Amino acid sequence: MPAIEARRLRKTYRTTRGVFRRERVEQVALRGVDLAIERGELFGLLGPNGAGKTTMVKIFTTLLLPTSGAAVVLGLDAVRDQWALRRRIGFVFGGERGLYWRLSGLDNLRYFADLYRIPPEVSRRRIPELLERLGLAGRERDRVELYSRGMKQRLHLARGLLNDPEVLFLDEPTIGLDPVGARELRVIVRELADAGKTIFLTTHYMFEADAICDRIAVIKGGEIVAEGTPSSIKTVVQDQGVVEFEVVGMPADRLAGLRTLPGVTSVAVADHELAQVVTIHCARPADVMTQLGLVLDGMTMEKVSSREPTLEDAYVQLIGDSPTNSEASP
Amino acid sequence: MNLLGPQRLVVRSLVRAAFSAFVLSVRLRVISPWSYLNWLVFPLLFAIVGLYVLSLPGAGSSHLVYGVLGGGLIGYWSVAYIDAGNGIQDERWNGTLEQIFATPTPLWVILLGKVCGGLLFGLFAFVPTAAAAFFGFHAVLPALDPWRFVISLGVLTLSFFCIAITMAPLFALWRWAFSMINGFELGVYILCGFMFPVAVLAPWAQGVAGFLAPTWAVKALYAATVAQGPHDFAAWWAVTSGLSLAYLAGAYFLYALVEREARVSGELALV
Repeated sequence: MPAIEARRLRKTYRTTRGVFRRERVEQVALRGVDLAIERGELFGLLGPNGAGKTTMVKIFTTLLLPTSGAAVVLGLDAVRDQWALRRRIGFVFGGERGLYWRLSGLDNLRYFADLYRIPPEVSRRRIPELLERLGLAGRERDRVELYSRGMKQRLHLARGLLNDPEVLFLDEPTIGLDPVGARELRVIVRELADAGKTIFLTTHYMFEADAICDRIAVIKGGEIVAEGTPSSIKTVVQDQGVVEFEVVGMPADRLAGLRTLPGVTSVAVADHELAQVVTIHCARPADVMTQLGLVLDGMTMEKVSSREPTLEDAYVQLIGDSPTNSEASP
Repeated sequence: MNLLGPQRLVVRSLVRAAFSAFVLSVRLRVISPWSYLNWLVFPLLFAIVGLYVLSLPGAGSSHLVYGVLGGGLIGYWSVAYIDAGNGIQDERWNGTLEQIFATPTPLWVILLGKVCGGLLFGLFAFVPTAAAAFFGFHAVLPALDPWRFVISLGVLTLSFFCIAITMAPLFALWRWAFSMINGFELGVYILCGFMFPVAVLAPWAQGVAGFLAPTWAVKALYAATVAQGPHDFAAWWAVTSGLSLAYLAGAYFLYALVEREARVSGELALV
């Protein structure tokens, strides 16, 4: 039996728009998702903003009801068995919110330990253990508002682990963290998975997924478009190469010209300081590099290079070649 | 005996969760400047204005008790009711509303603790207002019947508790409910006779007031401080308790609705 399972999972939000003439709007967040995650697996869900990652986490953590389909965690239905399920899972959402900033870290943990209905003799032992493990020991009596962002995120993780959950859901846990903080958190997450916990992680960062996940899925527009190990996902672009260069000011007609070059499968542009980094996925990088000068005649290109595709390239290929907003991995 | 064991553990863990919510709400009030406005500054202002008007020559001497107790009642109601809604809204802004909703503790248990925290703080409102009456205006409660007064205050507390715990989940479900909170707060000041007798209101307003549980408890409270007038304490306490329990019965269905609708709309995360 999988630890986490989604069967034809669908979620439609119904809302209204307009001020004077209100109009009903339906927004489909998940379009019949099927997923199965085994016990002890560290599973990563990748996708752009609005793809349905958070909606899926919220359905599994009993915060949302699906419109149709089934969400089952540890054999418990996330719709009907929410009370039993909440005792056995933990979750952490990214960002700084979700804590009582004017109280101490210790007060926050004690409060949530009681709401998780953990016996006092257990929480008295577990809270110091978690503080120690997550590097918060010694600062637990400080108000949360005095914590750094990394400390707040580790406190979130401590809260998520209070009930010693069998399954842990992490929704973009490293978002906004500095590189050191993000790396520390990744190490902790990997250790938790190695200790036997099933972890469902959503992230924007390909490096993060590549580094720590056993298996990943890519979601786009509420549908899973690829699923497998990081290396198997990379095979999507195994027959391809990547050409990258920097340019200042990229006119739309030149971009369209690049897309028409023979063998080009996608072109993505990302802002980098004052310049734009253009990434071209193509079958024959050498051919593309020779034709760049023709298409971009008169423009100054810098740092032109050709390389092997990465997981991020596979992701860009799967998501589409619209201008990407993916950021550098912290 | 074996069957009772697990049930006792469940009850004990729920009581502990409610108590923890109570302690948290008290701690947050102690460090929040806003809460001092509600239980200290605003009631004091109402009390001073009321005492000044009611102690002017020509004002009925029996009405002075409304100045002595009115500010405290307004403060008590404000903290008990407004803070229940405010508390939910604060949770929403903090991003903790989803966090507490997703725990194995039902929302009503958490709100029970929070509302009790509000009631405790609300009672403090009587301290500055009574002090202002005594030291500033030399006003006292002329014929205080301590036992009936205490029971009436207890029954009033029951009515505030039931209204607050019934209304609080609406703030969790609908963000716009927060904007309506002031209207109901002020309406209860007037309709329930906190600062003046309900008898001075228009007949239709008296009709509406009759359906509000605090009206009858406030009537009993004031009657316990003066010698003259009707003293139907048992009837007033019974009506207050009956209406309060009716609100609570409505709350049972409301919580089931909120638990479900919040999971459909996903509004808990929105600010």
